[in-house]
Amino acid sequence: MNGQAMNSTMQAEPLDTNTAQATPLAIQVRNLDFYYGKSRALHGISLDFPERSVTGMIGPSGCGKSTLLRVLNRMYDLYPGQKATGEVLYDGQNILAPGVDLNQLRSRIGMVFQKPTPFPMSIYDNIAFGIRLHERVGRSEMDGRVEDALRRVALWPEVKDRLQASATALSGGQQQRLCIARTIATRPEVILLDEPTSALDPVSTARIEELLDELKTEFTIAIVTHNMQQAARCADQVAFFYLGELVEVDSTARMFTTPRESRTQDYITGRFG
Amino acid sequence: MNSQTATRTPSSRSRSLAAQRKMMDRFATVLSWCATFLVVFVLGSILWTLLKNGLPGLTAALFTRSMGAPGQGGGLANAIVGSLLQTGLAILLGAPAGLMTGIYLAEYGSTSRLARAVRFVSDMLLSAPSILIGLFIYMVLVAPLGHFSGFAGAVALAILAMPIMVRTTEDMLRLVPVAMREAGIALGAPKWRVILFICVRAARGGILTGVLLAIARVAGETAPLLFTSLGNSEWSLDMRRPMASLPVAIYQYAGSAYQDWMQQAWTGALLVTLGVLIINIVVRVGIRAGRT
Repeated sequence: MNGQAMNSTMQAEPLDTNTAQATPLAIQVRNLDFYYGKSRALHGISLDFPERSVTGMIGPSGCGKSTLLRVLNRMYDLYPGQKATGEVLYDGQNILAPGVDLNQLRSRIGMVFQKPTPFPMSIYDNIAFGIRLHERVGRSEMDGRVEDALRRVALWPEVKDRLQASATALSGGQQQRLCIARTIATRPEVILLDEPTSALDPVSTARIEELLDELKTEFTIAIVTHNMQQAARCADQVAFFYLGELVEVDSTARMFTTPRESRTQDYITGRFG
Repeated sequence: MNSQTATRTPSSRSRSLAAQRKMMDRFATVLSWCATFLVVFVLGSILWTLLKNGLPGLTAALFTRSMGAPGQGGGLANAIVGSLLQTGLAILLGAPAGLMTGIYLAEYGSTSRLARAVRFVSDMLLSAPSILIGLFIYMVLVAPLGHFSGFAGAVALAILAMPIMVRTTEDMLRLVPVAMREAGIALGAPKWRVILFICVRAARGGILTGVLLAIARVAGETAPLLFTSLGNSEWSLDMRRPMASLPVAIYQYAGSAYQDWMQQAWTGALLVTLGVLIINIVVRVGIRAGRT
């Protein structure tokens, strides 16, 4: 149902003719500069996020990957000293322009954080909270939506008998899956993931990576990761950032076999970072 | 520990240094124990004296009869109810303002000049002499109206309770992780909803603790009531008239020369102390439950 809605919006929008991408683009970043106060964290970034595929963002700490992610849902707006210039085109609109409805934008571009952030309420209400923000939903429909979201992240069998229990009692991996469920329950089009597995054990990590594979059939996904193997496993295209610049972006296969830039080569072979 | 150092450096100098340190350690330990004992002793002896002198007066009549003339067999019922009413109204008046100010300081004002000024004034109020608050309310609510009232007493207590709740609310909200706020914002929730349904919820145990601490603090206040609700020896639930309260009754009875009044002063003091003690225990249990 969501996929259909997405299709129609994308068809209505003229595709960017400058790029040779076969798939339509969900987000286009153009000449993006970002400042933390006076210090510049991103330098003229231009990057396309193809629809319904996974874009991996790699690079050493402090290179600007998370900063870029936080521009895409205007999270940086919370902090007065932070400023972005340039263009981020989403659904035919520059989301950096003034007057953009941020709450609506964030309901369409969801985000999952490094540390699981369950709200201090029941498992059920964690999912329902996001849905109630944007829709008026009856009791039985809400039950269905909650169950559906929990099934999508394969959490349903584990929690179906204790939906009213506190979400903070779940394990770290379960909490993170709950956070993903919470995000997809509001039916966004894009999901941003900021190192979603760096606080998790290997088993939980594997489950979330499997989950990404399924989710990309329906959502556009941007994932920041420090884990090169994770980028290689999950991403369709990989962007390498270094010192606030986008060094190169290419399909995952080419990026990890024949990168064009020597800095990329050095980083992915572990010579620095 | 000592033998280990000695085997590593078996010189007489290090051995004497170790011995000296051990002496210092013992001395400091004994000193700490003495200090601890002193504090516990003072508290214990207060409680013991209260129990010894207060328990004999703990009768059913104390709770059923109002204050009366010496030798007439009066109780403290009106003072107990007066205290409950005035403290209750004080919290009803002070809690919304206190909690909302705390929310403003933690979530909206943060480092703005107004917030800094509010925080400073609130902290000043926290340590202001309570008799000053009583005099202030006397000038504002008693003198202009021409009579003392339970309502004026409650307002004085509310002013005392407010800064406590402001501080605890702000501190507790600041403990809520930034990630939790951002997660709420990331779902497209407006700021007020994130604050009300996520942050305040996450901090609710601590905020409630602040309210209970404020109750415990104002329940035993005497000075601000002397100039506001004054005290009343008759049964009265009318907040517009002078109203009795336990602390004022204790003050009045303890200074008298009558045996039965003095007995009731002890028992009243025991009741106030037990009440505060129970609130503090509830707070501690609550904090422990909130942690796990």
